[in-house]
Amino acid sequence: MWTSEHKPIVGVFGFSGCAGDQLRLIHMEDELVSLFTTAEIKFFHMAQSHQEVEHVDIALVEGSINTKKQLEELKEIREKSTFLVALGTCACFGGIQYLNEKDEAFEERFRHVYGSNIKKKEFIVGEAIPPQPLCNFVKVDAMVPGCPIEKDNLLPIYTKLIKGIRPQKYPAPVCVECKLEGNDCLLLHGIPCIGPVVSAGCGAICPSHNLPCVGCWGPYEAANYKSMIDKLEEIGVDKETALRKIKLFGGSKAEEELEKVIK
Amino acid sequence: MKTYKLMKEDFPQFLSLLQEKGNLYGPVKSKNHYSFEKIDDLSKLTFDYTRTLMGLKKFVTPPKYKVKHFDKSGSEDVIPEDETNIVIGAHPCDIHAMKILDKLFLGQIKDPYYKKRRENLVIVGHSCLPDENCLCTSTGTDMVSDGFDLFLTELQDFYLVWVGSSKGLFIIMSSEDLFNDKIEMCDIAEYTSWQENRQNSFKTTIPFHLMPDIVHLIYEEDELWDQFGEKCLSCGTCSLVCPTCNCFNVEDKILIHADEVVRERMLDSCTLPYYSVVAGDHDFRPDRTKRLKLYYTHKLKEYIGKWGQPACVGCGRCVTYCPVGINVKTVSNAFYEAIQCVREVKKI
Repeated sequence: MWTSEHKPIVGVFGFSGCAGDQLRLIHMEDELVSLFTTAEIKFFHMAQSHQEVEHVDIALVEGSINTKKQLEELKEIREKSTFLVALGTCACFGGIQYLNEKDEAFEERFRHVYGSNIKKKEFIVGEAIPPQPLCNFVKVDAMVPGCPIEKDNLLPIYTKLIKGIRPQKYPAPVCVECKLEGNDCLLLHGIPCIGPVVSAGCGAICPSHNLPCVGCWGPYEAANYKSMIDKLEEIGVDKETALRKIKLFGGSKAEEELEKVIK
Repeated sequence: MKTYKLMKEDFPQFLSLLQEKGNLYGPVKSKNHYSFEKIDDLSKLTFDYTRTLMGLKKFVTPPKYKVKHFDKSGSEDVIPEDETNIVIGAHPCDIHAMKILDKLFLGQIKDPYYKKRRENLVIVGHSCLPDENCLCTSTGTDMVSDGFDLFLTELQDFYLVWVGSSKGLFIIMSSEDLFNDKIEMCDIAEYTSWQENRQNSFKTTIPFHLMPDIVHLIYEEDELWDQFGEKCLSCGTCSLVCPTCNCFNVEDKILIHADEVVRERMLDSCTLPYYSVVAGDHDFRPDRTKRLKLYYTHKLKEYIGKWGQPACVGCGRCVTYCPVGINVKTVSNAFYEAIQCVREVKKI
């Protein structure tokens, strides 16, 4: 993708989210020095005061797109970058702010929060638009979901990228990590876990503590929503609650798939 | 094979003897299920259990382990260290599963990582009683005559201790006063009666001997396969808990600190998407039904052609742990019943 003659240029960008993924990068204390010495980090809003963006080899982009200004910036980042990585569940799938996007008119919700006197264009961050994940606007080369991201998931991808190797995706649901952690299935004990439709990466932290997965790593690529809902109904969860559970972090991807299933 | 009697009152002493010989692992209750765990406190051991979540495979093909280390000077195999791990409480099905793994990993090409872990392992089997999910009488794996170092059959006042290897014999010889090699006729009678009772307590049978042909002939009957494909969550549970499933993925991880690479193996599952992706990004099995077909044709048919027995040992783990009821029992029964229906209608 790029030659290893010079250090790859990396940019870390943030849109709408809690900035937890950028913070997670800074919190990788054991790796922090290497992070800044193995690549030339040209743009890192949270970590640097001097900012400049020309061309970047790798763009790590956090957050969902919530305003027209952000959308323009995202398009600019895409144009100026060779490899774009969506960082965290908000960037990959839309995150929690995507919730109910299809159920309730955006305008109505906007007025409910900000009142009817304010105009959307008046925001200094730009005119508000319904929240969307990055991939709904530009080509995303790799996704690293997480709320926030986990360094064990990001680093293998990142270290490949700075060596100019294209990372391979190999999606798995939370259940895989859950079994490897030595847990049996919570669903078998009547606990409404949605692990089978959620991306792995967290190490099945919640199920390992007997708490059902709430889905914060976003949808699993091969999720079988119909069977998941049937199973939840079988253990006494009504359909509406089941859908709400799946949609909480499911973003636009889950919404799209659920529409097919409900039809 | 030599056989000894071990009185029940001497059993704690036998366990202490094992602890002296190496790291002792055995079945303990953990949360809602049983698991082979390292035993520091002997009171946690329990033998009144049907199955652990993971079988013995976690001792020989752990969920994730390093196999190679690369740096600028070259590469080095990461072979596990010499140590003795003794696992007590393995059931006949677990031991049969281990024999299958041995055939695969220690055949013509010997896997050095498996080999070392296997050499480190001492298996002390334990007799069991079935529940409704046990299918081992159908797979012919309810009894075991080799593949273990020692095997304990628990009777009223004593254990019958079957010796399966020189390693096992050395353990006995190191504390001979615990064991008695005089087996009386009444002991034999007690054992036979126990074994008959056990045989009669199996509740589930499957026509496994017909399954290779049935799975082969039914391969194109998409409707039959789809009923499972539509339900499957592609969660990987069936193969992760299966004691004979051993597919692993290999990943090279570049370390950020220096020019070093660690090659890792991790347990994989053929029910996951991208399992069958090849160079050039072609995916042979993009949909769930195709992946399930692969799992069941391999388990119930292909393996028999190559190795002379099914890759299922009837342990009932998939029956117990699949959240949506797709397992060797429901799949085999669905196929068999579909055929029986046709037979009834057509009077064949």
